[in-house]
Amino acid sequence: MEEKIRGSVLVVGGGIAGIQAALDLADSGFKVYLAEKGPSIGGVMAQLDKTFPTNDCAMCILAPKLVSTGRHPNIKLITNAEIEELTGKAGNFTVSVKKNPRYVDESKCTGCGLCVENCPVRKAIYPVEKVEVKLGPQDLERMKKIITEYKNKEGALLPALHDINIGYSYLPENILRYISEELDLPLSLVYQIATFYNAFSLKPKGKYTINVCMGTACYVKGGNRIVESFERALGIKVGNTTEDLMFGLETISCFGCCGQAPVVVVNEDLYGHFRATKVPQLIKSYSETPKKAGMEVGNAEVKG
Amino acid sequence: MAYRTNLMLCTCTMCVSVGALKIKRKIEEEIKRHNLEDEIQIIPVGSSWLCTRGPTLIVQPDDVVYQFLKEDDIPHLVEEHLLKGRPVKSLMYIHPETLHPIEKLHQIPFYRQQRLITLRNRGMIDPDKIEECIARDGYKALAKVLKSMTPEEVIQEIKDSGLRGRGGAGFPTGRKWEVCRAVKGSPKYVVCNADEGDPGAFMDRSIIEADPHAVLEGMAIGAYAIGASEGYIYIRIEYPLAIKRLERAILEARDYGLLGENILGAGFSFEAHVFKGAGAFVCGEETSLLASIESKPPEPRTRPPYPAQSGLWEKPTNINNVETWANVAAIINQGAKWFSEIGTETSKGTKVFSLAGNINNAGLVEVPMGITLREMVYDIGGGIPNGKKFKAVQIGGPSGGVVPDSLLDLPIDYERLQEAGAIMGSGGMVVVDEDTCMVDFAKYFLIFTNDESCGKCTSCREGSAAMLEILTRITEGKGEEGDIEFLEELGEAVKEASQCGLGQTLSNPVLSALMHFRDEFEAHIKYKKCPAFVCKDLITYSIDPDKCTGCGLCLKQCPADAITGKLKKPHQIDDSNCIKCGVCRDSCKAKAVILKDRFDK
Ligand SMILES: Cc1cc2nc3c(=O)[nH]c(=O)nc-3n(C[C@H](O)[C@H](O)[C@H](O)COP(=O)(O)O)c2cc1C
Ligand code: FES
Repeated sequence: MEEKIRGSVLVVGGGIAGIQAALDLADSGFKVYLAEKGPSIGGVMAQLDKTFPTNDCAMCILAPKLVSTGRHPNIKLITNAEIEELTGKAGNFTVSVKKNPRYVDESKCTGCGLCVENCPVRKAIYPVEKVEVKLGPQDLERMKKIITEYKNKEGALLPALHDINIGYSYLPENILRYISEELDLPLSLVYQIATFYNAFSLKPKGKYTINVCMGTACYVKGGNRIVESFERALGIKVGNTTEDLMFGLETISCFGCCGQAPVVVVNEDLYGHFRATKVPQLIKSYSETPKKAGMEVGNAEVKG
Repeated sequence: MAYRTNLMLCTCTMCVSVGALKIKRKIEEEIKRHNLEDEIQIIPVGSSWLCTRGPTLIVQPDDVVYQFLKEDDIPHLVEEHLLKGRPVKSLMYIHPETLHPIEKLHQIPFYRQQRLITLRNRGMIDPDKIEECIARDGYKALAKVLKSMTPEEVIQEIKDSGLRGRGGAGFPTGRKWEVCRAVKGSPKYVVCNADEGDPGAFMDRSIIEADPHAVLEGMAIGAYAIGASEGYIYIRIEYPLAIKRLERAILEARDYGLLGENILGAGFSFEAHVFKGAGAFVCGEETSLLASIESKPPEPRTRPPYPAQSGLWEKPTNINNVETWANVAAIINQGAKWFSEIGTETSKGTKVFSLAGNINNAGLVEVPMGITLREMVYDIGGGIPNGKKFKAVQIGGPSGGVVPDSLLDLPIDYERLQEAGAIMGSGGMVVVDEDTCMVDFAKYFLIFTNDESCGKCTSCREGSAAMLEILTRITEGKGEEGDIEFLEELGEAVKEASQCGLGQTLSNPVLSALMHFRDEFEAHIKYKKCPAFVCKDLITYSIDPDKCTGCGLCLKQCPADAITGKLKKPHQIDDSNCIKCGVCRDSCKAKAVILKDRFDK
């Protein structure tokens, strides 16, 4: 015999847990109120790429649930809302909810996102705590030039990052925060661009960056074996730097010097026709003599 | 001042890397020592010759070419050739079959079959001196266009020539310009795509390093034709020398009034800017490239609207590849008819290829369309080194495919290559020999595309990962019945569901390998064998006791201490310690290290 289900449930918080709770309750026949502080449900999971431990795509799991939550006849969404007061006892609560104004007609909005992009007052939706970025006088001096060059210019971020990268040979976090403030760009965008490109690193690089070419021509001539040899010789994996910050090991897809394949580049010195057996010699030559950087150095010592 | 002899010294990135600048200083010293400064000049040129044989020097007007120069060779060379007029045979190109030195540049087979249009100034001018470019008809086409042609006439000329985009897709350039001209909106932009993300390709770098003005002139003509006044050259940061030459070329052209306000007094203004990319393959895709210039997240977007309708800053934008732009001035100068007579029915003109991989003459090649792959590999490329057997040519990089021996007589043409499962692409051509495992090679491209996928489309992001997983399993000897069919199905699905060219083409390397080398996949799956002895989990290393001289070199070099043996006695490899790095095989002079199948089924 089925018992008659009565009453309604309030779920507070529209993250994945709240959504799942609301859906399960609603499916078993309860009327559910799902209250969420932000303007939309989804929470942190909506910002993830993959989920642990299965590496499933987060959005692929979440998106159908978002849709069912929105459409479920038993669920009422209360977004932009905060719980002000809660009285009563189990089975009979009275809740007072403060719903903040949205200033958008929910019945008409299609969620296209255009208004967000065009809003001149950015960061208004999720006010972030302002982090005071303090830079030393030397950094400030450097940044002043970059800021004056790029402030109020369209499309300035990538060139600005290039300039920072030339100065520091990586992108330090406080500098990224600083230019986000000064160029009035969301920090998320700055990070997105900084992490998208292979040319940038958020970690300090070694004194010498060993770039092994893994382009097609170099690959068929044994590029991957050279990479492995460097990994063994330096005791690090690709993408890392030795503890003494002397050597960083990276791979790159083609230097455009495929005629000399396989190619290894250390800072700006290019070594063509490289062989795995030359690895120890190359590392030694850099550990010992402080070398002048520059293409001209060529591969006189190591070329065999 | 007229010089008796010009020394064209190649100073492209590759030659510089093997010491071309040292050679230059040494020659200067020697010339001074012999008091020849008034008679002989050195001209640093770009991308002149066989790129594997740098540093190279061409002595003009004698047309004599020297290769593999070392500093110590210079005093002898200067004295013998420049002073006494006796060319030095020992430094010349040796014919791979007859073994005779070849003296003249134009007698070398590598050079003979080439037809230079895009690279018309290759090895002839100092790219840092605009005067030399102008002396060879540089900016003549721009002057002609500005003085005597309407934009419509320019577009008609390009359309008549049959020029198609050299960036990959082969879209007719004239039509593209026409669309962009017709769209209302201002300002308009022209963009040069010099991102060249294809691994194994270096055409665009070489064109810019040899003759940056050819690109600038083409862009200026294009800008005039579509009504733009500003242009961007998007170039990858990995090409420092090309960036430097381009920036200098822009400054020089501006000084000469060939760029900037009111060019040649014709009331047309054009500004060009260099924009540096930051190492992302997907930025070569046009919508992603434009987003990158705007400093937005460089993810491709759906087309339409095409860049011609809404491109940079949402303005009409015309985007072409470096090589496409470099063709423009030649067409204007010599006429559409002349151009359209070169090549095949559907593919006109010439194409620059970068020939690399397991081939004797790796280098930059410009040939008329329609030449066969066999001519490319054997006549121009000089065949496969070390007596190995030819296996396939990879054309089109991560978007292209492999062409096997049986299809070598295929003429190079956009449509014909597509039929064979490859694409023209930007012109990277990597030759592989029998020592390359086609499964591993296909896996290599998927590692690349999986890494470079921007992650926007699920099909591309997850599809490449899933295909990579299967291929990895196969190379590890864990392939299963049905994997091949699944790969094919998945490959087609990814092709259909992805938004930009990266996803739409990423399965090509796998599908074409399956088309032409299915037996290798089957050998891996059914018999757990790697016919090329590449896949580590399927092979073992051992030493042939009859050949081993017991020199101990391999023992010293082995990083895993897997080799044992006494001096002068045959050595052994302990399979349980062996990490299959291949160092022993590389270091063995007696060729005693042999590879065997691990599983004998
Ligand atoms: C993933 C991807 C990468 C590309 N990379 C390049 C490139 O490196 N260079 C290039 O000129 N075109 C590249 N293209 C092609 C461009 O999108 C575009 O078609 C081309 O620049 C147009 O010029 P064209 O008409 O002169 O060929 C790429 C396309 C895709 C989908
Ligand atoms: S593939 Fe290595 S330099 Fe091009």
